[in-house]
Amino acid sequence: MTLPDAILTESLTKYYGPVVALESLDLAVAPGEIYGFLGPNGAGKTTTIRILLDLVRATSGRARIEGLDCRARSVEVRRRIGYLPAEMPLYREMTGAAYLQFLSSLESRPVDESYRRQLFARFDVSDVDLRRRLDHLSHGMKRKFGIIQALMGRPSLLILDEPTSGLDPLMIEAFAETVHELKTDGRTTIFLSSHVLSEIERLCDRVGIIRRGRLVRETSIADLRRNTPRRLRVFFEGPAPSPPPSLADAVRRSDARQWELEWSGPLGGALDAMQGLPVSDIEIEPFKLEDYVLQAYSGVVTGRE
Amino acid sequence: MTLLPLVGRSLARHRALVVALAALLSAFQTIDVVVAYNLQSNGLYAQMAALVPSFIQEAMGGVLVGSFAGAIAVGFVHPLVMLSLSCAAIYMASEPAGEVEEGLVDLVVARPVPRFLIVTRSAIVYVVGTAAVVAAMFATSRIAVGSMSPATLGEVPARRLAWLAVNLLAIAWCFGAAALVLASRLRQRARTAGTVALAAVSLYLLQFGAAAWAPLRPFARVSPFHYYEPMQILLGRGTPTTNIVGLLTATTILLGIAYVMYERRDL
Repeated sequence: MTLPDAILTESLTKYYGPVVALESLDLAVAPGEIYGFLGPNGAGKTTTIRILLDLVRATSGRARIEGLDCRARSVEVRRRIGYLPAEMPLYREMTGAAYLQFLSSLESRPVDESYRRQLFARFDVSDVDLRRRLDHLSHGMKRKFGIIQALMGRPSLLILDEPTSGLDPLMIEAFAETVHELKTDGRTTIFLSSHVLSEIERLCDRVGIIRRGRLVRETSIADLRRNTPRRLRVFFEGPAPSPPPSLADAVRRSDARQWELEWSGPLGGALDAMQGLPVSDIEIEPFKLEDYVLQAYSGVVTGRE
Repeated sequence: MTLLPLVGRSLARHRALVVALAALLSAFQTIDVVVAYNLQSNGLYAQMAALVPSFIQEAMGGVLVGSFAGAIAVGFVHPLVMLSLSCAAIYMASEPAGEVEEGLVDLVVARPVPRFLIVTRSAIVYVVGTAAVVAAMFATSRIAVGSMSPATLGEVPARRLAWLAVNLLAIAWCFGAAALVLASRLRQRARTAGTVALAAVSLYLLQFGAAAWAPLRPFARVSPFHYYEPMQILLGRGTPTTNIVGLLTATTILLGIAYVMYERRDL
């Protein structure tokens, strides 16, 4: 039996009066997948998330979580979700411990205390931090409480909006470690919205880019790595020779002692073509999701791969 | 049951308001009893009644202004008491708008919490909160009368004072329900509470004005304060059940509207 998509939206549309927030959004996220949901500010990311949580009602179209309609079976859907909003709302007067206890009491099943302790240890939340009022905590510490509250119920779908905003590098690492563990475990789907592209590139299996309420690009990180042209700078010991026919199309610039190439596909082909040339050094620019995303944001690229 | 933690959290957030208002209005009751006792001791009721214009007397309890019972009842009919209790109900009932404004609703409603529980929670909190304040006022009034002048305790039967308190509560609950309707639609708490509080003051002035100016009387029917007749209650001319049932019916209808609106809204 095949499992239903963890997230499925069909022609999802939302208007706020005359403002189009989402326009016919079709999205499918497989169970166990880590999906990066990207887009410039105001593109419709948060609206999509809020429709999935039934906080906002779609103007038309449908959204399903694990086969359940987000509107008609809203409570059942939310039983399966752990959510971290981009801006962490807090009951300022509460302590961290009371805050987590309150949110646990709203879960449909008891929160596993040992798992919660494990999360405290991983995110370096001490007993002293737990006893402090939330309005006395730093932004980063509040964010940690946000991540813990989303994870503590062991949901089958995690929706994380800017999860590492304000975290120090150690905590970003702890977050990445947690995501890797969940991925290995395979029982949790993660829908991750972030502007930190290195994080998306590192953690996600696939990315979707939304712009002006439409999904303009969707691809797997592996495909992107494979298909995105890589920039190479080849330095020669003496004057740069003329490129061999197999490289001629790839050379973008050539001067006295170096070439600049854009190479698509496995790099072995380029290296083979340079056999016998007096190459002194090769610089290969690492793959960057940024170029791809910026193209999509600016509207240069449309369509799906 | 997720309702209990929601109610507990909301009561905790409004604890300071309820305690402060209960303390303030209880102090008002105590002062009222002290003044009433002193007026009685000095035989000043008749002179006082002669000084107060008739329409003000009407608004504040009619002939009873010139009596110990009437002076005690001032603690339950004074505009400041009525309006502050109504405003407390309005503020507590406006919590759903505040939760949307602060984003707290994202954390709560993103969990398996049905939306109707948010409205139910706020209804319970404002009803319980205002009832606690009125209970404190009632208890303080009885204790103050009993301790200062035990002989006069029978002049204001507890039953009549209790009816006053319940009728007063019914008015506050009605305004609370109106605030809950608006809070189920708007995104700002101050705007919600401010609008309904302003309406409460206007409706009080309408009722007050109607006592002095006959052309206003037909319009006064829309004011919840119209359904509060303290003089009738204190004189023992029947119980105010019709008024209370009317106010509670309006409250129930408004709560029903709040449920429907909250269910349909974008959070």
